[in-house]
Amino acid sequence: MSRRPDLPALVAGLAILALGALLLLDRVDALELRFGVLAPAFLAVCGAILLATGLDNRDREAAHGP
Amino acid sequence: MSTVPATRPALHRDPTHGVAGGVCAGVGQRLGVDPLILRVAIVAASAAGGVGVALYVLAWVLLPVAAAGDGLPATRPRGATRASLQVGAGVSLLLASFLLTLRELGLWAGDPVVFPLVLAAGGVALVWRQSTQRLVSPELPPTPRAAQTLPAAAATPTVTVAETGERRATRAAGVYRGGFGVALIVGAGLLVLQTTGALSAARDVVLATVVVVTALGLILAPFLYRLGRTLAAERAARIRSQERAEVAAHLHDSVLQTLALVQRQAADPRAVATLARRQERELRTWLEGDRTPTGHVASALREVAAEVEERFGVAVDVVVVGDAPLDADLLATVEAAREAMVNAAKFGGDGAGSAVAVFAEATVEEVSLFVRDRGPGFDLAAVPADRRGVRESIVGRMERHGGRATVHAAPGMGVEVELRLERRP
Repeated sequence: MSRRPDLPALVAGLAILALGALLLLDRVDALELRFGVLAPAFLAVCGAILLATGLDNRDREAAHGP
Repeated sequence: MSTVPATRPALHRDPTHGVAGGVCAGVGQRLGVDPLILRVAIVAASAAGGVGVALYVLAWVLLPVAAAGDGLPATRPRGATRASLQVGAGVSLLLASFLLTLRELGLWAGDPVVFPLVLAAGGVALVWRQSTQRLVSPELPPTPRAAQTLPAAAATPTVTVAETGERRATRAAGVYRGGFGVALIVGAGLLVLQTTGALSAARDVVLATVVVVTALGLILAPFLYRLGRTLAAERAARIRSQERAEVAAHLHDSVLQTLALVQRQAADPRAVATLARRQERELRTWLEGDRTPTGHVASALREVAAEVEERFGVAVDVVVVGDAPLDADLLATVEAAREAMVNAAKFGGDGAGSAVAVFAEATVEEVSLFVRDRGPGFDLAAVPADRRGVRESIVGRMERHGGRATVHAAPGMGVEVELRLERRP
């Protein structure tokens, strides 16, 4: 059994969790979410997931060919 | 025969021994420290402001992955693979998020400055990548023999080089990438001019420039077209000439050597038949097979040495320091070394059963190789012009692949053939 975690799934889970926490804080009025705050957060989530998936796929390509 | 592994492998990642991307495992191998120490350092740096995460991701993106088993950096597949597109998109989105956050926090030099700068940086990165990438990717396999045509007259073969679709696609992708980079830089410049109000003032100048450039283009177009055709024809002729030299060198190394052995063993029909069968197999494989190099320099040299030992009954001692995966250039170097070993085995004996000595060293920058015998030596200038052994199979072959060969020989002093090839990045 491999000791490596499924990195894309892990990053995606953590990133969506963080985004959910932001939205929850906004809902309970602990934080005021504006477009200027939400847009970078949303972009960061998408970017982190894409980066993790790409790096994982690149390792697979290097190991098994594209 | 012995192999001494390189003590410090090149900087790489080792995902098979890593927890995430294998950065700490690979760097630990390079530095000779326990990866656990590096992992603790990365976690500590991550806790202190997130620098560790950024460093780790940067190393993951930039470091090549090691090939399984040998610890050497593997060749990263070139071109716009799905994974590289995902990485590029991910990095772009993260960068956009970072910039928007700075903007929101007020750490911002102004939209007219930052957005053109970002556009220009993206364009420069694309153009830079395109300018450093060779026109034809070296990792692409060489044209298979089957796709080339050899006429019946093997003495003056003409080879038609068929460009594969994969190479054309790689070239087209490079042109698109470079064009997109240039467009981004031009767009950034126009954006700056627009936001500063200089574009309207420069409109007349730009219009005049466009008209002049268009007129010059129309005047020079036939000359440029003819120049392009001439350059393409010269390039094709050069490729044909190199292919002819490669075929001639291979025929010299294989068929002519075998014919010489056949003459020497003419009294033994069984030996002659064995030689003919082996040569036929080798020639068929070379004509029909895919010549994509596989394996590493050390193992290829040992195989060649074993073959020379078997054919000529002369001991060949091989010492290899370090190793490198074979590519087309290194394969040519091994073939040149084989020819040097054959020459040493045929002419380098001193009658006391002395061995042929081969020493090779492979580093990240260069592969150097020495083949030495203690025979009677010879005067290189006195070798007849029609003898191709040293001139074509060794010196010419190395020069065609960007390396160089030096023959140190003098009557009575033995012969040392020195081969050097700088490795491509």
